[in-house]
Amino acid sequence: MTMSDLAVTAGWYMALAALLFSIGAIGLLTRRNALVMFMSIELMLNSVNLTFVAVGKELRTLEGQIATLFVMVVAAAEVTIGLAIIVAVFRRRATASVDELSEMKG
Amino acid sequence: MGNIAFLPIGLEVALLVGAIGVLMVAVTMGRSSRDWAVVAGAAIGVGFVISVRQWVVVGESGTQLAFGTKGADGLAVANQMVAMDKFGALGGMILMVVVGLALIGSWQMVKDLGSRGAEFVALILLSAAGMHMMIVSANLIMLFIGLETASIALYVIAGFLRNRRGSDESAMKYFLMGSFASALFIYGVALVFAATGSTSLYGSTSIGQFLAGNAMPNPGILLIGIGLILVGLAFKMSAAPFHQWAPDVYQGAGTGAVAFMSTGVKVAAVAAMVRVLYIGFFQFYDDWSMAVALIAALSILVGTATAIAQSDLKRMLAYSGVAHAGFLLIAVLAARVSLDAMWFYLATYAVSLVGMLTVVTVVAGASAGPVSIESFRGLGKRSPMLAAAIAVFMFSMAGIPGTSGFVAKLVVFTAADLSGFRWLVVLALVASVAGLFFYLRIIVVAFFEDSDTEETPLTLTGPRIAIGFAVAVTVGLGLWPTLLLDFAREALPHL
Repeated sequence: MTMSDLAVTAGWYMALAALLFSIGAIGLLTRRNALVMFMSIELMLNSVNLTFVAVGKELRTLEGQIATLFVMVVAAAEVTIGLAIIVAVFRRRATASVDELSEMKG
Repeated sequence: MGNIAFLPIGLEVALLVGAIGVLMVAVTMGRSSRDWAVVAGAAIGVGFVISVRQWVVVGESGTQLAFGTKGADGLAVANQMVAMDKFGALGGMILMVVVGLALIGSWQMVKDLGSRGAEFVALILLSAAGMHMMIVSANLIMLFIGLETASIALYVIAGFLRNRRGSDESAMKYFLMGSFASALFIYGVALVFAATGSTSLYGSTSIGQFLAGNAMPNPGILLIGIGLILVGLAFKMSAAPFHQWAPDVYQGAGTGAVAFMSTGVKVAAVAAMVRVLYIGFFQFYDDWSMAVALIAALSILVGTATAIAQSDLKRMLAYSGVAHAGFLLIAVLAARVSLDAMWFYLATYAVSLVGMLTVVTVVAGASAGPVSIESFRGLGKRSPMLAAAIAVFMFSMAGIPGTSGFVAKLVVFTAADLSGFRWLVVLALVASVAGLFFYLRIIVVAFFEDSDTEETPLTLTGPRIAIGFAVAVTVGLGLWPTLLLDFAREALPHL
């Protein structure tokens, strides 16, 4: 086995990103605490960033890096709004569990 | 100034200036909601005029792309961000009409909010700017930015009545589900970028150019990417199985806010989906058309079946919206042979829904959360005009001849049949008949059941104009559909 077989290519980064994305998605769907769900979403967005950066490096184009910047800006905006909503819910109900949020029923 | 083309993003600029203007007026001139109405109305009016101007300019000198990477000669050559075409211009006109009607319908809520009302108006304008950005974006990253601009503002709008229980629940659910959808969408973009090396829809380095020039023996990553983009957009238009958030959000948020968030997002998401799928991924038509058809079929079945069981009007409209998302996805498939069918369906459904929700704001209050269907009992006696308006909107959504909804379904189903989706058309026809049940039930409750109260809902001038306009459009386009169809036939995206 030579060194080039062990080189970390973009494929490995993409596999890692896919794994992180899956962990985030599963976390979002199984956990019931709003803050943890929110963290899961951030994990998903970061795996997107990893994909963009790795592919951008591989293809030698700046587009991937630039896309990452945009995703980070959007994630920051989402954090602002999301935390505000979670705090508003917490102040009213003293819980951040989404199971307690079940007043709307058909 | 010279090298920046403002016309392609004129509508967004007008709305953003309007949003900031509303906030500035609220800060400097006080809390008279009349002042905000003038600023917001001016922004929406200017936005509409700019859309008309875009239509005219495109008609004279052809479609154009803007905001690209500059070449040696100083001209934009690649990676353009915004497309100016009749597609975006008509989308802008429809959006402006819908936003205007929705704002008029929710104005009572703005007044009740006091000084916070200005923020509500500003957020609606910002969200509308994001929606139009989705329609005109020529790059998937740009589309993501528009999607998020629209969505993040909508999360706040859903939770705006923080003093009422239910509104915060609505915002939380919308936020978590919406962010999940956005994450799926942008991961799809990342995978498409990995497969094709591009996020552009147009130009020499676009996705379509790459796919045309390179046979893809093993398109797995690309197909997953397209699928995730589809899922993200389907979430936003509340198509099944990605619709669970919609009923809770609609029921919990103030009715005035629902009118905007239920219609605007659908218009933007459907138009964006058409542009992305047909311009970006046309080589994979066979693959994505099957996925779209399945989502459409499921939406129609789930939406129709669950709408029947609802006792809350806003939940009923949410599930009916799921079914209509299915019909709109059929229109996306039908766009292959006729784009005018899609525009007609979008425009008429949006106007009918906004009109219907404006009636709900009048009868049940603009800030109301849950609205029982029972609260419409005896409306035919209490307020014959409102009841008649409800009848028109419900007939239109059900697809009764004489209303725009009938023509919309007719043209969409015909075009879908021509595109080779006869099984989907048959399914949709059966579901339309079943849908009669819950649409007509509202009319039966309003006209043939007696109410305990004799209270006549007070219809102010604003809602009266909005409802009247929506009724006129619904009936008018039902009788003379060519007025819009001929117009929409030209509304093609830049190729």
